[in-house]
Amino acid sequence: MKTSKLPTAWLTAGALGLLSLTTTAHADVAPEALVGPVADYKLYVLDNLEQLVTHTEDFTAAIKTGDVEKAQALYAPTRVYYERIEPIAELFADLDASIDAREDDYEKGVEDPDFTGFHRLEYALFHDNTTDGMETYAQGLMNDVNDLDSRVQGLTFPPETVVGGAAALMEEVAATKVSGEEDRYSRTDLWDFQGNVDGAREIFDLFKPLAAEEDADFVARVQDNFDDVEATLADYRLDTEDPTAGFESYDEVSDADRRALTGPVTVLAEDLSTLRGLLGLN
Amino acid sequence: MSNAVHPATPSPRALRLGLVMSFLLVLFALGVFTLSLEAVRSPNEDGYRVNVTSSGCEPNRLEVPAGQRTFTVVNQSDRAIEWEIVDGVMVLAERENIAPGLRQPLTATLKAGDYAMTCGLLSNPHGTLHVVAGDSNAEPAALSTTAFIGPLAEYRVYTTLQLRKLRSSADELRDAIAAGDLSAAQQAYREARRIDLHLAMPIGLFSDIDQRLNAHADDFEQRENDPAFVGFHRLAGGLFERQSTADLSTAAEQLVTDVETLATRLKSASIPPQQLADGSARVLETWLDHHRDDTSIEARDLADLIALTEGADKIVSLLSPLLESQSPEILHTLESNLTALQRDLQADTDSPTSRGAVDDADLLQTTRALANSLSDINHALTLEG
Repeated sequence: MKTSKLPTAWLTAGALGLLSLTTTAHADVAPEALVGPVADYKLYVLDNLEQLVTHTEDFTAAIKTGDVEKAQALYAPTRVYYERIEPIAELFADLDASIDAREDDYEKGVEDPDFTGFHRLEYALFHDNTTDGMETYAQGLMNDVNDLDSRVQGLTFPPETVVGGAAALMEEVAATKVSGEEDRYSRTDLWDFQGNVDGAREIFDLFKPLAAEEDADFVARVQDNFDDVEATLADYRLDTEDPTAGFESYDEVSDADRRALTGPVTVLAEDLSTLRGLLGLN
Repeated sequence: MSNAVHPATPSPRALRLGLVMSFLLVLFALGVFTLSLEAVRSPNEDGYRVNVTSSGCEPNRLEVPAGQRTFTVVNQSDRAIEWEIVDGVMVLAERENIAPGLRQPLTATLKAGDYAMTCGLLSNPHGTLHVVAGDSNAEPAALSTTAFIGPLAEYRVYTTLQLRKLRSSADELRDAIAAGDLSAAQQAYREARRIDLHLAMPIGLFSDIDQRLNAHADDFEQRENDPAFVGFHRLAGGLFERQSTADLSTAAEQLVTDVETLATRLKSASIPPQQLADGSARVLETWLDHHRDDTSIEARDLADLIALTEGADKIVSLLSPLLESQSPEILHTLESNLTALQRDLQADTDSPTSRGAVDDADLLQTTRALANSLSDINHALTLEG
C-alpha cells in the first residue's frame, strides 16, 4: 500500500463509517422480517451440503479405485458446493483448514503432513497425475465433509454472518479467484468463482425485497454488477446451454477479461458490505 | 484506628435476647414463606371469572385492560370442556379438559385488541374478549428483538423439515389404510403422530387445524360417533383399539389435507418469540390436563409425552444462549428439569414391561416441573409486555 494515499483512504473510510452509522440509525427493517430469509438461507445451505456429501462420495471413491481421469473430472464439480456455502463452512475453522486450506497456509507447503483436503488431492491429481498414496487423504476429506454436514445441521445461523456472507464471498473472489491462485494445478478457478458468486447472489436475492425498501438504487446497482460478472463468466462456459459442463481453464481467461472482472467484483464486495447496516444488523 | 477486637464472652442476658430475636425472625420468615405459598396457590382470586355452560360462555363478552391477566374458568356444564383465547386463527392461551363443576385459572399477557373465546363444545358460539389499552406502567424493557432472529429462523427450519416428514408419513398412513394393511398403518401412524407432537406448539397456534388433527372424542357432541370427529385420536381408535383399518379412509384423507393446509399456513406465519417458551409450556400442560385425575398412563400417552419432550428439547436448545446471558439460574433449572424428564422417559421405555419403571405420579411431577420452568423463561428474557 502506498503511504501517500493513506490520508485520503482514512477520510473516505471515516465518511463511509458515518454514512453507515446514519443508515443504521434509520434502518426501518423489522427484525422479525429477517427470520424468513435467514431460515431460507439455511435450507439452501443444507441442500448444498447434501450435494457436497454425495459428490464427495463419488470423488473420493474414484480416488480410492485409482481412476485418475474420473477423479480429475469430479474435482471441480464437487468443490462448487463448498464454495457456495463458505460463509457458514468457514465458521468451523478446524474443518475449513482440513478441507480447503492451500499449501501456502503451511510452513512446509505441499510436503507438510498437515496439508490435507481438496487442494492436497488437487496436487496429486493434476500435478503428479496420480492417486497413489491418496486413500488416506480421500477418506479424511470424506470424514470432514460428513462432520461439517452434521455440525451445520445443528447450527443456529447467526443473522449477521448470513447477511455479511454475501460480501465475504465477493471479497474471497477478489482476493483469491481473480488472481488464479486458488486452483493453481487444476486451473478450475472459474468453477469456484461461479460457486462464490452463486452463494453471494443467493444471500442478496433472499434479502433483496427488504433492502429495496430501504435503498432501491443500491439494489439496482448490485444487480447490475452481478449481471456484469455473470455475463463475463458465461463467455467461458464450455456449453452455454448446460451449466454442468463447466468452464474453460483459467489460463484461457484473457488479461483484459481478468481486469474487466476486477472492477465489478470489487464494487460488489464493497456494496454488499453495507447490507448488514442497511438491514439493521450492525 | 487500631482497636483490637477482643473475643468477649456475651453476657447471659445478651444471649437470651439474641435467642428471642432469632426465634422471632424465624417466625417472621415462616410467615412470609406461608404468605408467598398462598400467593402461588391462589393467584386468581382477583382475576376475571368466566362460567362455561352447556351452551357457551357467561358473560359472552368480556372487557379487560391490556397486560398480564388472570381468568378463572368455571365449568358449569356436564362434561369436560376447553377454553381458549384466540387471535384470528392463532391460539394465544388455553386450558383443556376442565372437569364438570371445577375451576381452572389461566394467565395470559394480552395486547389491546379483540379476541375470541372458545366456550366448551366446538359447536358453541364464540365469546368476545375485548382488551383495552391500559396504562403502560411496569412494562419491562424488552430484550432486543434482533436477539430472536437466529432462534426463530432455526425454529422455522426445524418446522419446515419436520413438516416434510409429516407430509410423507401422512401419505403413507393414508395409503396403508386404503390398502387395509393394519401393521403398516400402525407404523405410519406412530411416525406421523410423533412429528405432529414435535410440532404441537406451532400447530396449537392454529385453532381450527389443531382441532381437526388433535381433538379428543369428548370435544364433540356425539363423541366417537360425531361426523366432525377426525384426526389422530379418531385414527388411533380404529388402528389400536379396534385393531382395524375399516371406516378410516375419510379421516385419513382429511389428515393429509389438513397437513397440507398446515404447511401452507406455517409458510406465511411468523411465530411470535414469546410463543417459543409459552407455547411449549402450554402443550405440556395440555398433556397434563388430560392426565389430571386418572393416573393410569397408557403406552400411547407415554409415546405422546416422549414426542412432546423432543419438541421441547429443540426449544430449550434455541433459547439456551439467550438465557445464559439473561438468567443462568433459570437456564440451570430448565435444563435439569428437562434432563430429569428425559431420564424418566428413558427408564420407562427401557423397562421390559411397557409401563412401570417410573411411577406415574413421578412422571406427572417431572412433566409439571418442566412445564413450569418453560413458563418462567419469558419473564427472565423480559419478553412480556
